[in-house]
Amino acid sequence: MLRWLLALVLVPLVPLLQKRIDAQLGAYRAQEEVLYLWSGQHVRRLVPGFEGLAADVYWLRTVQYYGGQRLFARDKKFELLLPLIEITTTLDPRLVIAYKYGATFLCESPPEGAGRCDLGIKVLEKGVAVMPENWRLRQDLGFFHFVFLRDPQRSAEILMEASKLPGAAFWLQNLAAMVLAKGGQRESSRAIWRQIHDQSDGPMKENALQHIEVLDAYDAADALQSLVQTVEQRTGRRPETLDELRSAGLIGRPPVDGSGAPFLYDRQSGTVRVAPQSKLWRPDL
Amino acid sequence: MGAGRLARVWAVAANTFRETVRERVLYNLVFFAIIMTLAGLLMGQLSIRQDEKIIKDIGLASMELFGTLIAIFIGVGLVAKEIERRSLHPLLAKPLGRDEFFLGKFAGLSFTLLVNVLVMAAGLALTLAGTGRRVDPHLLKAIYPIYLGLLLVVALALLFSTLTSSALAAVFTVGMVVAGRFSDVVRNMREVAPGAPAWLVQLLYYALPNFRNFDFKDRVAYGDPVPLAAMGTVTAYAAVYAAVVLLIGMSTFRSRELS
Repeated sequence: MLRWLLALVLVPLVPLLQKRIDAQLGAYRAQEEVLYLWSGQHVRRLVPGFEGLAADVYWLRTVQYYGGQRLFARDKKFELLLPLIEITTTLDPRLVIAYKYGATFLCESPPEGAGRCDLGIKVLEKGVAVMPENWRLRQDLGFFHFVFLRDPQRSAEILMEASKLPGAAFWLQNLAAMVLAKGGQRESSRAIWRQIHDQSDGPMKENALQHIEVLDAYDAADALQSLVQTVEQRTGRRPETLDELRSAGLIGRPPVDGSGAPFLYDRQSGTVRVAPQSKLWRPDL
Repeated sequence: MGAGRLARVWAVAANTFRETVRERVLYNLVFFAIIMTLAGLLMGQLSIRQDEKIIKDIGLASMELFGTLIAIFIGVGLVAKEIERRSLHPLLAKPLGRDEFFLGKFAGLSFTLLVNVLVMAAGLALTLAGTGRRVDPHLLKAIYPIYLGLLLVVALALLFSTLTSSALAAVFTVGMVVAGRFSDVVRNMREVAPGAPAWLVQLLYYALPNFRNFDFKDRVAYGDPVPLAAMGTVTAYAAVYAAVVLLIGMSTFRSRELS
């Protein structure tokens, strides 16, 4: 009875002490991410018969690591991303999602991703090697070659390979031809991101939508610039501001991009650009 | 086996089952229920479109893991503890043969494991249904071989239980189970140790119980076909291997000096 009483007295001390520790050291203390095993083969050897479950655990860890780095880390390094994906795909070579999302996490530019598309492409190539009959993975490899590496030639080749696989979508050949014919034009990018958007859900769909919004913003800037030229041709002078286009009835709404940021207008040159302050600005577009 | 012998084996089996229930072995189902509930609630948010596969993986792996732990740690005590506690003597003084006692213990723990696996399978199906997923009857093609593997573990645990103390029997059984899970490493041993005699590698590969044979979890989780012929061969393997182990166990138990 005395022991029970003593235990009951001590139990409330635990949260009290924890509160004190949190107050002294901070409730959200920085925790260094550590990977003790760097090789998928080593992990595989440790869990005979439970490789599938271990792959799930590593995949969850990959997603949490990526999300944690993207949202909370000040110095977004993503340095454990590749080994985590490598371990996951070694433990379960058929986990398609790990190749697809893993490559996306690696390819996206910082701060959205690691900005290491060379590694992302390798991840997808590994998936294609393991599942040569999977047209979707090969299609993703083709897409990534185009949208991240800006290599329309190689992208079209891979998309053509994908189109010949059993069950492949009928539009892959058209897309390959378009990529080859129009190269780096936004029209091809939009078609590819539209496909990624239509085939995905969750974060991948949102990511594709954001890329489409970026392309929309750049297209809108081009459209405004051509309106500026139209006004100049009609009146012999360039408008002072883009709002003049609205008051002239040439555009129906304020000249802002999809994120609400005003476009940057240089009256001297007559150019309209997406403002670097905008969420939709990309240095490489 | 005559009706009388069968009745005695049945009596020991029923008693063993009651004993395992009294020892709260089936309490592991509570942990399983908690794990499956958490998996059902959290995986959709954490895994990005992999929740169904992960729920299946967790359910099947839990069945195998919990079952193996029960088979080992209850199995090794079934005979050894009776000897250590000297409770075996009054039993054998009755019209009960050692073989009957041994087989009854095997049947009793096997039944406990069957109940355990069936309840877990129902729990897995409920979790899938509760999260809006299809309850896949093909899961049985992974669950059945898991149960076969558990029967083999029970047989091994019982064999060691007749040879030595329960602590050492546990060590030996765990060793056999781990070695059996590394059967592919054993088979390819010469790649890392070229000096190992081929005959020894072959002998080890075929002598150790190959627990890899019972692993259909990934195939089933990915919806791959599992040929019935393969299932039949795996069943035959488990039956033959378990029979050999049980026969050796019965022989050693018969010749064991109990005084």
